[in-house]
This record gives sequence, C-alpha cells and structure tokens, in this order.
Amino acid sequence: MLAYLVRRIIFGAAVLVGTSVITFTIAFVVPADPAVAMAGAKADPQTLASIRIEMGLDQPLYVQYARYFDRAIHGDLGRSYIRRESVTRLIADRFPATAVLAGAAMALSLMLGIAMGALAAAYRGRAADNILLVISLALVSIPVFWLGTMLLIAVAAAIRSFPLGGYSGATSLILPTLTLALGSAGYYSRVLHTSLCDAFDQDYVRTARGKGLSRVRVMLKHAMANALLPLVTLAGLDLAGLLSGVVLTETVFNWPGIGRLAAEAIFNLDIPVIMGTVLFSALLIVVVNLLVDLLYAWLDPRIRLAETG
Amino acid sequence: MMRRRLGPARIALLLHVLAIAFAFGCGGGPPPLNLPPHAMVIRLADADDVPTLDPAAGYDTVSWTFEQAIFDTLVRYGDGNIELEPDIATAWESSPDATTFTFHLRADARFSDGRTVTSEDFRYGIERVLNPATRSRGMEYYRGIAGAADFAAHRNPHVSGIDTPDNSTIVFHLGAPDPIFAHKLAMPFASAIPRDVAEKWGDDFSRHVVGSGAFMLREWIGGQRLVLVRNPYYFAKPLPHLDAIVESVGVNQELQWLRFDAGQIDAVVDIPPAEFPYVMKTPALRKLTLAKTTVTTRYLGMNCQMWPFTDVRVRRALSCAIDRHKLIAILNGRGVVARGVMPPNLPGYDPDLEGYDYDPAKARALLEQAHLARGFEFEIWMRADQTILMLAQSIQQDLAPLGIRARLKPVAWGPFLEAIRQPRTVQSFMQGWEADFPDPENFLGALISRAQWGSNNDSFYSNPEVEQLLAQAEPVADLKKRYALYDQAEKIVVADAPWVFLYYPVTYIIRQPWVHDYVINPMRPTRFEHVWLSPHPD
Repeated sequence: MLAYLVRRIIFGAAVLVGTSVITFTIAFVVPADPAVAMAGAKADPQTLASIRIEMGLDQPLYVQYARYFDRAIHGDLGRSYIRRESVTRLIADRFPATAVLAGAAMALSLMLGIAMGALAAAYRGRAADNILLVISLALVSIPVFWLGTMLLIAVAAAIRSFPLGGYSGATSLILPTLTLALGSAGYYSRVLHTSLCDAFDQDYVRTARGKGLSRVRVMLKHAMANALLPLVTLAGLDLAGLLSGVVLTETVFNWPGIGRLAAEAIFNLDIPVIMGTVLFSALLIVVVNLLVDLLYAWLDPRIRLAETG
Repeated sequence: MMRRRLGPARIALLLHVLAIAFAFGCGGGPPPLNLPPHAMVIRLADADDVPTLDPAAGYDTVSWTFEQAIFDTLVRYGDGNIELEPDIATAWESSPDATTFTFHLRADARFSDGRTVTSEDFRYGIERVLNPATRSRGMEYYRGIAGAADFAAHRNPHVSGIDTPDNSTIVFHLGAPDPIFAHKLAMPFASAIPRDVAEKWGDDFSRHVVGSGAFMLREWIGGQRLVLVRNPYYFAKPLPHLDAIVESVGVNQELQWLRFDAGQIDAVVDIPPAEFPYVMKTPALRKLTLAKTTVTTRYLGMNCQMWPFTDVRVRRALSCAIDRHKLIAILNGRGVVARGVMPPNLPGYDPDLEGYDYDPAKARALLEQAHLARGFEFEIWMRADQTILMLAQSIQQDLAPLGIRARLKPVAWGPFLEAIRQPRTVQSFMQGWEADFPDPENFLGALISRAQWGSNNDSFYSNPEVEQLLAQAEPVADLKKRYALYDQAEKIVVADAPWVFLYYPVTYIIRQPWVHDYVINPMRPTRFEHVWLSPHPD
C-alpha cells in the first residue's frame, strides 16, 4: 500500500510540473503582452517599454520559466497584473468561499442522489421508478445559470429573508447550493439506480433474500455496499471540480470564489492569476483523486489485493 | 481480532459528515460590519471587483471612485463639472510659458493616521509613479517634469524638476511647455502618499492605504466588499456627511437591480438595458434618475493600413452607411449622435462640425468610386458585451444592403486590446475613449497621432498635416489659439474618416429617494463628500 501511495504521489507531482509547463507555454503563445495587461488600455509605448524591462520580459523564455517554477514551489505564484496583489493570497482569500459552497453542494447532492437512486431501485419498473427517472433527467438537464437566476427571482426576490446573492452566512448558502446540487443529485441517482439494479441480480443478494431478510435490509446491508463504489469515484471527481470553482454559479450569486476570480482573470488577460488558478485546480484534482483512490482501495478489498499482489 | 466491515449506511453517513463538516467548518461569510446603529451609510454595488486602491496603480472607474475618496490631490474637479478647483492646494500659478507651476498647500490637511500632509508627500507620490519599479499606469503624464528621465533611470535619487522649498510649497519645472499640466495633477496618480506607509507595505500598499481624503479604508474583503469610513482628520469639516461607504463587489447588473428594488442598495450606476424602458416609463422611478453626457466618444475604428480601409472613400462610405439614430434607439436614448472625435462638454468641442449623415445613396456612390460597388467582406472586433453586440448587429444590418458583409468577432477585453494594437491584424473594431482631462490633446494627441501607433491609435491613422497641427497646438497656452489649432486638426481627421464616429454616451444613474446631493461628474466617478442620506428603512 505504501509503494502504491508513493507511486501515486510521484505521478501527481509529474502532473503538476506538466501543468505548470503547459500553462506557462500557453501564456507565451497567446498574443498577450504582460506590459499591456499591467499598464492598461491607455499606456503609451514608452511606459510599455519600461515595464517590460522592469518585469524581466526581455529575458529568455527558459529563464523566465525557471524563475516562475522556483517561486511556485515556494508558494509564490507571482503577482496579478491588474490588482498587483500576490496570486497565492488572492487564491487563499477566495478558496474558503468556494470550499464552503463545494462542501455544501456535495453533501446535498449525495443525500438527494442516494435517496432518489435507492428509492427508484427499490421500486424498479413501477410508477415511482418512472417518476423518479423523469425528475432526475430534468434535474440533470436544467442549465445552472438559468436555475440560479430563476431561484434568485422566484425565491430571493419574493421572500425578503433570503439574501440577494453574496456570501453572508448560512442563508446565503442555500440557493447556490441548491443550484449546484440538483443537477449532480439527478446524475448520482441514475448511477446508483443502475448499480443497485445490477446488484439485485447478483447471487449474494438473492442468497440474502432467500435467508428471509427484509427488502430494506437487503438493499442497505448487501446491495448498497457494492453499488456505492462507482459513486465514490464520481463524487471525488465532482468534488475536485467544485473546489476548482464554479464560474456560472459564483457569478450569478455574487459568490466570491475561485471560479469568479479565474473568470475575471481570463476576461482581463491577467496571466499570473490564470496560471495560478489552473495550477491550484490541478493540485486539487491530483489530491482529491489520490484520496478517492485510497478510499476506494480501503472500501474494496479486491482493489487492495490487486495493488499489493 | 475480527475487523468490522464498513457498512454501506456508514459509508454514506461518513461522506455526508465529511462534506457537511467541510462546508461549515470553513467559515460562514465575512464578519459583521460593526458600524454604529444610526450611522449614515451609503450602500453601493459593482459588477467588478475593486482592482486596486493604490493611486499609482489604478486607472479605471472603480479604482478611482475609491481612490479619490481616500486620497487628496493638489487640485481636483468640481463635483458636477470639469473646472479645476482647490483640493490641498489653496492657490497655484504658472509661468507665462507654461513651464513652471507653483502650488501653495493648506496647512491643516492631515493623513488618516494624524500626520500633517506636506509638499514632500506630493513629491513622493509623483516620484513613486515615475519609478519603473512601481509599474504605474500614470508614468506618461509626469514624464515632462524636468529630470524625470534621470530619476527613472536611477541616475538621480529625486526628480530634479520638483522643488519643495518648504512644507507648504511645491514647484514643478517642466522640460517643455505644458499648459494642461495642472489637469494632470488632478488625476489620482498625483495624490499625496505617506512615504513611511507606502514603503512599509511595498506592493501590498493597496491593502493598507493611508490618505488624507474624506474617507479611510476600514475593511476590504476581496471579491466581497469594501468599507470606507469617515477620516476624522479630514480638513474640510464638517464634510463628509456620510459615516461610511459600503461597496459590494462582483454583483452583476441584474442582481444590482434586484437589490435596488428591495432597498438593499442606495444607487445603481448601470441600470440593466432590459429595465431601462420600464424605469423611464414609471414616473416614480424616473424622478429618481440622474443623467449626464459624459466626455466620451464611441466609434468604429477602421485600420487605415489594411484593405479596404486604406482607401478614404471606403471609410467615408461606411461613415455614411451607418444609421447612428438607430444605435441611439438601441441604447434607449442613452447617447448623442457623434459628429467628430471630440465629445460635447470637452473644451474645444466644435458644435458646428458637420460630420457624416446617414446617406446610403452617397455611401453606394463612394463605394462605386472605390471600385467596390459589389461590396466586400470584413471583420468587426468588439468587447464581448451584450449591448455592444447589439450595436454591432445594427451596423451589420445597415451595411448588408450595400453588399458589405461584416463578420462580428466578440472577444474578452484583454485579448481585444491586445489584438487591436497589433499592426495589420484587426480590420475594424468597436471602441471608446473617456477623457482623462478636459483638453483636446487628450483625444486628438492620444488617439490620432502617429506616436500612438501600437498603443492608442489603433486605426493606425497618420496624416502629416494633422501631425503638424498637433505639434503646433500642444505647447500653446492661449486657449483660444490652442482650440483653434485642434479644431483644424479635427476637421482633417473627420474628412479622413479613420473612425465612424458613432455616439457620445449619456450616463444614467438611479438612486433611492433618501439619497441627496448625489451628483454625476461628466469625466470622473461621483464624489461622496457632499452626499447625505435622510432617514430610511434598512
């Protein structure tokens, strides 16, 4: 298990180095002059020239990358061209809001998804299954920006106690969480439904039924154990995505997260912030994937045996 | 010992507990404001985050809104006009040849940390801008001060052209006459900066600003809110009337409107286009609006170095083919038809300039003369923005009957700026220019001169006759002569038509009935020293 862990960490580090090379290269491939981004729309040629020299943009590309890499491994992702602030600090400022939203959305989507999936599987082929199928497909299909705006207009504007966007405690979390969670819940419910239906046809479930166990007990005690495994992988990937920022939801609800930071940076061609948020997202994906793999191996003895054997 | 297998219910429970702990363990929003219960607080919102509060760095409306509340300059503009008036300087004079400017400072101005403002603080503020290490966007405005180049090249510890004979006098010696230099000192770049604070925080000064303006920074939570409170040491007592300004950031236009409607914010600068007709048709709302034509020109730039716009007849044809009144209608009346480079409200504006009328027949004739009777195809670049796209679509429709097929290319602001500055890259583009100071040089010199190729002259236009007139006009201190020279230059530019002059925007704001003395400035963000609020529901 330890060898597996070490291998995955080395692989993760390689992914991060690769990401840094790609983002740095892209930053130079796009026709973006950092001096223009920093000096603004009205800067004259002399100002631009002096800023280029000051920023070391006259140095060869590999020298600039080496400097960037050295700083990055020490936690310094450079300074925003527009805000002049440390990118590491900008990300650190925005991450808590994104983490809160991601955590809440993940919890709600799992709760709803597992409940709907289990219920639909328990009533397989009956009216309740079909109704839940339609509901989950509808949830998956609703665009996030539309749902968010509608929730704001219908709920927040009608019920004054709901905050109109912003990040101001538990009540402000409700609408963006719903917006993010409903689509995932629909998806999780379909995945769980399929896994549970597969499990119901397995011998070990038939044996449990034959032993006279109740339907609920068979599902929770026997079928669910295997059926939940694909959900762990899915939820892990989703969590990494959510933690990297959810641009549309954060924009609609004025949520001060990493997604909005990245979107603003892209809009303004603020290359250090773009590179910083991409690198940070890659780090989150690597870490969460590693945790999911470890969790998976812990939950499923077959995987553990395959890795050690 | 038997190891207990983790049951499925426990797995689900574990996942939920982890997720919920994650959600609520990370905190629940910003701390409460903690302002006194009856404090007079104006609540504002903006779609953009505040980029910076450092006067050397900021060069945008949002940053300037708060920089001019926190910092003082030597001179400033009136709340609702573009006339220079005293700020920290009580009086000023310039030499007849406009090469020496002397300012006398008031003695009672103090920073929000209690220290007295002196002439050294103004010298430091400008030297900080001129220092390339600061990477200031305002460098170019003060490069004309004698010795600025030596200072920027680190050959001299100070700018030799700035004298501070005593704490309350500052003298600027310029390398060449600049009659509008005092206007450049009204820009936030030239604010009084306390050296000790700026040097202590370095690049993070923006988060720890100390100024001598009416307000001081209380709190700034990135992406969430900015709170300014009254500076107890502000010299112009009893101003300001407000106890605090609370700006929520990242609030999109629609959300701003919902919050305004719910009474949660006190003024909206950008009424959503979908709501604007409703506002103007509803008397109760209409009377809450304020309007002013800004010192701004919006135009369709044509790259004079790229086919087919190398031919002046084609450029004139486009100028005749576009119905500007239709554009104003799309803007719900929030604009005035443009006739030239310079907008109304700008000194030197020529109200008699004829410009181009909508005349498709004339446009067709001009195209025939240019041997393009069957039309042509070209690309219009623009910032990705719903309103700009609607205007571009109207232009596209106007050109279609002439066989001109315009392909629209909306892109993000950063890449847009990059692209239009590249030579022979962008055929045409929708752009605008807001005045930095009220002088024709800030339009014609900044946008039309050959020296601005690759930065602000994105049409890559050049005409030796215009260059000569601009060079002649720049040092002339006699305003009548100065404006006459710029007027001559503008007439040539209009005839050469490097732009289709589209419109001069009219800005509308709406404020709650309890907001008083809120005034729109045609060239600068609104100032808050005189704004006050009557009692109102929270």
